[in-house]
Amino acid sequence: MSWWERMYLPEIVRGLSITGGVFLSNLWRWATGRKGAVTTFYPEETRADYAPANRGKHILTRRPDGRPQCVACNLCATVCPARVIEIEAGFDPDDRAHPKYPLRFEIDYSRCVFCGLCVEACPEDALRMLPEVPDLPGHDRDRMWIGREELLDWSPRGDVAKPYPPGGEQVRPGGAH
Amino acid sequence: MPRIFINGHPVEAEKGQTVLQAALAHGFFIPYFCWHPALSVSGNCRICAVEVEGEDLDIACNMPVREGMRVLTDSEAVQAWRKRMMQFITLNHPVDCGICDKAGECTLQDYHYEYNGEPSVSREPKVHATKFFRLSARVLIDNERCILCSRCVRFTHEVSRSRALGIQNRADSSLVRASEDGRFEDDPYSDNVIDLCPVGALFSPSLLYRHRVWYLQATPSVCPGCARGCTVRIWHRRPDWALHALDGRQNEAIARVTPRENPAVNGPWICNKGRDLARIFERPRATQAMLKGEPVALGTAVDAARRLLEGARRPVALVSNWGSNEELEAFQRALGGRVRAFVKEDFSPAPGEPVEDDLLIRADKNPNTAAARALFGDAPPAFEDGTDLLLVWGEGLDFSRLPTRVPIICLNAYLQPENGHADVFLPVSVQTERAGHYTNFQGVVSAFEPCFAKRDSVAHAESLFAALASPPGPSP
Repeated sequence: MSWWERMYLPEIVRGLSITGGVFLSNLWRWATGRKGAVTTFYPEETRADYAPANRGKHILTRRPDGRPQCVACNLCATVCPARVIEIEAGFDPDDRAHPKYPLRFEIDYSRCVFCGLCVEACPEDALRMLPEVPDLPGHDRDRMWIGREELLDWSPRGDVAKPYPPGGEQVRPGGAH
Repeated sequence: MPRIFINGHPVEAEKGQTVLQAALAHGFFIPYFCWHPALSVSGNCRICAVEVEGEDLDIACNMPVREGMRVLTDSEAVQAWRKRMMQFITLNHPVDCGICDKAGECTLQDYHYEYNGEPSVSREPKVHATKFFRLSARVLIDNERCILCSRCVRFTHEVSRSRALGIQNRADSSLVRASEDGRFEDDPYSDNVIDLCPVGALFSPSLLYRHRVWYLQATPSVCPGCARGCTVRIWHRRPDWALHALDGRQNEAIARVTPRENPAVNGPWICNKGRDLARIFERPRATQAMLKGEPVALGTAVDAARRLLEGARRPVALVSNWGSNEELEAFQRALGGRVRAFVKEDFSPAPGEPVEDDLLIRADKNPNTAAARALFGDAPPAFEDGTDLLLVWGEGLDFSRLPTRVPIICLNAYLQPENGHADVFLPVSVQTERAGHYTNFQGVVSAFEPCFAKRDSVAHAESLFAALASPPGPSP
């Protein structure tokens, strides 16, 4: 450090004038009704600059009778590079076509990398990702699991790729199982 | 020693071998469904067909070796044949691998990728049959998945000899069914048909949809259910697939038990008791050291036991025949000179349990009686006058049969009312938490490895014996 820098106070004043200048210019822009810093008031406000292809929220689709389309095959959990999906399977001997179904379906959003491989691996089109951002903030990393009921709580009316139900009747959330 | 040529390579076959046996023995793989090394030749799946130069294709499992024959296991004709056979075998197969518990270790799945790899050629609707049909309380069958290889049928006729399974009807309405007199229910080896099944048709209702096989790992172990000491694989969840949100107990639970082939002891089979090792090892565990029923730290209890041993003039020990060879030797090394030791029978046959048969099951329901008796003799426990300390290692002992007013040091792994009556109680580890060896009744020594980590609050009996023999530390 030079003699001038070792004087300490002049450098402090210089640093404060840089940050203070940015602060005041942002404040002036904000006071005159223009966009100041890129700060967003999360969670009331979400960032506007997400890419249109961003997929941030998993959902589980339902069959026409309201049951989950998922057959608990665990392919999504197996392909997941972050290993954040855990599924507990149930057995329903009366449903001949779908005897295996998910009792619990848990995704850990604290570790998910949003790569979408789970959606690609799903053989039943049961798992999709929406261009939304889940409500993530929390105080505990271990409590960022999103479970079956929240994943199934999706209104598919506007989805052109796979309208639910295929013809007619509206799907009610919270059906059988 | 007939000399044959497989794909041009000269091979010295054994006399009386089939081409399939000779090829497998020399590292040439030929696919097979219905053939099994321990069962008779059935020859119904036709997938093992090979070409002999100058002759038609024929099945290798039923083709005796002849001097100078030239076998081709991978010629174009053989490949085309295999592909057609796979198309035929999967004609009515539901291909529900996504929800089939066999997926990942299924012969049909492997062969499909290896030898066919194409969608079904049939445009006919698949034949539907019963699913989850109950053959016994332990075995279900999905007849749509069944490829009618008849391995399970031959097993009950040739190995377990219950003759409990058969195939009903003809052609695509054939069904594997159990006899109606309940013989399959009573067959103590019935679960072997689940391993034998090359597809996912036979499965256990208790394991249904509990695990995908690639989440599991197998630890080599030895069944402690009887003196046969069958070598087994204990399957449990892989640590890198440990569950976080779901029930964490599954990470430390036995998922299933399968035989580990061992010609010296059990061949490729185990009995149903060996499948249920979780019922033995997953009983409530004793994890708290106690002095006269009062919880204390493990170190305090060890010190108390050591002082009791120091002061005793005629101590008697009842040694567990569930202890491994290493533990028994550690006991002998540490305490053998000071303590009169007798071998204790931890388990006797439970009501309704098959006691003994000529296949595997032995009447002695303990794994290491042979090694324990070799070290400590086979005299029954006797308590002469003047016995002033008892060391009881293991379970299955009624304390009311012991001399009264004699202090007792008890080592047990499971939560049992007797534990609280001992003057000093020391919790110990179980077989799935440590490595060791058992010596079976024939003198064959088999090794087992730990599946799970031991809890800090319990001790390995082996280290406890050494601690008990060392000079007493400063009293607390």
